[in-house]
Amino acid sequence: MALSFIDGNEAIARAAVRAGCRFFSGYPITPATTIYQQMLKLLPPLKGVCLQGEDEIASIGFCLGASMAGLKAMTATSGPGISLYSEQISFALSGEIPLVIVDVQRLGPSTGSATKGADGDIQFLRWGSSGGLPVVVLAPVDVRDCYILTMHAFNLAEQYRCPVFIASNKEIGMTRESIEIDSLDTPDLLTRKYCPEDQPYLPFQVPPGTMIPPFLPIGGSRLVRQTSSTHDPEGYITADTDIIGQVIERLDKKLVTNVDTFTFFEFDSDPDAETLLLVYGVTARAAKTAVEQMRKGGKAISLLILKTLYPVPEDFIKQCINEVKRVVVVEMNLGQYVREIERLAESQHVSHFGKMDGELISPELIQQVIAL
Amino acid sequence: MDRLKIIKKNIMEKKTTILNLTEEEFVHSGNRACSGCGLSIIYRMGLKALGKNTILVVPPSCLTVLQGLYPVASTKLPCVNVTFASTGAAATGVRGAMKALKKENVNVVAWAGDGGTGDIGIQALSGACERGEDIIYICYDNEAYMNTGVQRSGTTPQGVLTTTTPIKGKLQEKKDVPAIIAAHGIGYVATASAAYPLDFYDKVKKAMTISGPRYIHVHTPCPPGWSFDTRFTIKVGKLAVKSGLFDLYEIEDGEFQLTGESKRLVGKEKPPVTDYFNSQGRFKSLDAELVKKVQERVDAKWAKY
Repeated sequence: MALSFIDGNEAIARAAVRAGCRFFSGYPITPATTIYQQMLKLLPPLKGVCLQGEDEIASIGFCLGASMAGLKAMTATSGPGISLYSEQISFALSGEIPLVIVDVQRLGPSTGSATKGADGDIQFLRWGSSGGLPVVVLAPVDVRDCYILTMHAFNLAEQYRCPVFIASNKEIGMTRESIEIDSLDTPDLLTRKYCPEDQPYLPFQVPPGTMIPPFLPIGGSRLVRQTSSTHDPEGYITADTDIIGQVIERLDKKLVTNVDTFTFFEFDSDPDAETLLLVYGVTARAAKTAVEQMRKGGKAISLLILKTLYPVPEDFIKQCINEVKRVVVVEMNLGQYVREIERLAESQHVSHFGKMDGELISPELIQQVIAL
Repeated sequence: MDRLKIIKKNIMEKKTTILNLTEEEFVHSGNRACSGCGLSIIYRMGLKALGKNTILVVPPSCLTVLQGLYPVASTKLPCVNVTFASTGAAATGVRGAMKALKKENVNVVAWAGDGGTGDIGIQALSGACERGEDIIYICYDNEAYMNTGVQRSGTTPQGVLTTTTPIKGKLQEKKDVPAIIAAHGIGYVATASAAYPLDFYDKVKKAMTISGPRYIHVHTPCPPGWSFDTRFTIKVGKLAVKSGLFDLYEIEDGEFQLTGESKRLVGKEKPPVTDYFNSQGRFKSLDAELVKKVQERVDAKWAKY
């Protein structure tokens, strides 16, 4: 048993390497830079590659190339950089390229405040790519989550051949905590499925009963075509609307219909509660304290901490909110994830509290909001 | 005596000296730059030269830190802070608006670091140069991303230790950004050094007399990033020039000529590059072979002058 006193960024780096990540690239940006610095320490001894781009467009481009060649790849940035990633996020979606993207969110919009946290990019991560197809967004609460969710992120990227986001926050990324890595409940590692040697390879052909095409690396012994344009199973660009429609539908369904298998959460339910407090990210820590204090004061309240934000685990959320009459969503933005809850709620009253001023939301403030 | 001679010669050549430099200031004292910051020197001198009819366009960089947070903001001129990649483009827009509003005699001045100029910003700058935009672009080259904690940039010299080249130092050679800009065939390209602030001042003044894109690349020592004592900023900057590593020159309408201290060095014996390397911590992992190679490159370059 050994304790590590590390921050969220270091936890992400360590978990990435353990998950088999052997390629990292990035561009200097506060508060994500220390992920680069950690990867630079960890990757070269393992014969991995850690590369600095001349900008964010280059950095994510390196990752896409490396992933297409078969390596598990990761990049990390913050608001201004994630904006420049946008085109290549849709490239990864269309080309089904596994990739883990860490967004250590800082206060926006734009350059905002480099050293202040926020959860202002949540909807951007979901919708910030052309075409609007689903992506996976995981939101850690603390350093421990940074470690565990990063390992899951690599598994999901490999399993579903898609970009997976870790929606961290400056407050998690740059705060040190003690964690015991050996005792964490980490998943077994998954690797993308390769096309067997004895079978013909069509780059986007999906075997019957599955939704993910097997992979072969660009530059391997067999010819591989890769494109971000609308394509048929063979990887040729096509204008056939039937084929285009089928591929797009599959890209949507492969994640949305499977979200129940990767819905990460903490649900602390009180059967007497009429109110459910729903939070994610660093705000969950204040929420836990607030709930504890309210319960001490004799108030019944339930708490749902969501860690899989996208695709929205709709059935699971409905199940949780059906237990109560009122849902209070608290988040470090002016109302982003609450939109998902509003559309899922039936008879429940949904209220929201959010702020973006660079300060964490305190337990006291959460209690005041719930008392309203 | 030598120094007096130089001052007299400068006066004869109508160069700016400490005696005739304008007293007007456009930078408040007490800004947020680090002690010994080379950028502080050239920012003050550059704005003195540009004067009040100036609009600054500045991307994320140490300069945005130096410019400061209210109430310690340091610049007495209008300044737009733009995105990292867009300096040349945003300056283009400002100039376009000035034209549309018929505001003449306004200096539109982009002022960016080496990463913002030679890496992420080079596309927008190249576009502005190719279009012939009427802007002055000043790059202060402190040879790494200092604002985010000393990461290597395209203009970091070979062998330099940064937080992203921590063992052997940077493997690649310094990107020659002024040469790239000069290849656009614009009317004025110059290099300068924070250690020779009056030379920089005169180059800005000269740039103001020319229209179209003008580019000035300023070597800017950085005590924390280069690892030297804050009192040695000028000494280190001068050593880069005197050892022949960083040359002061102008390219006017395609005509190259050395200027100032570099011009005086032609045909003279220069201190070895090791004098410069030894003055800073960032070169401490240089091996003898690379030092020799750099010295040979410098000698070969100077053989052509």
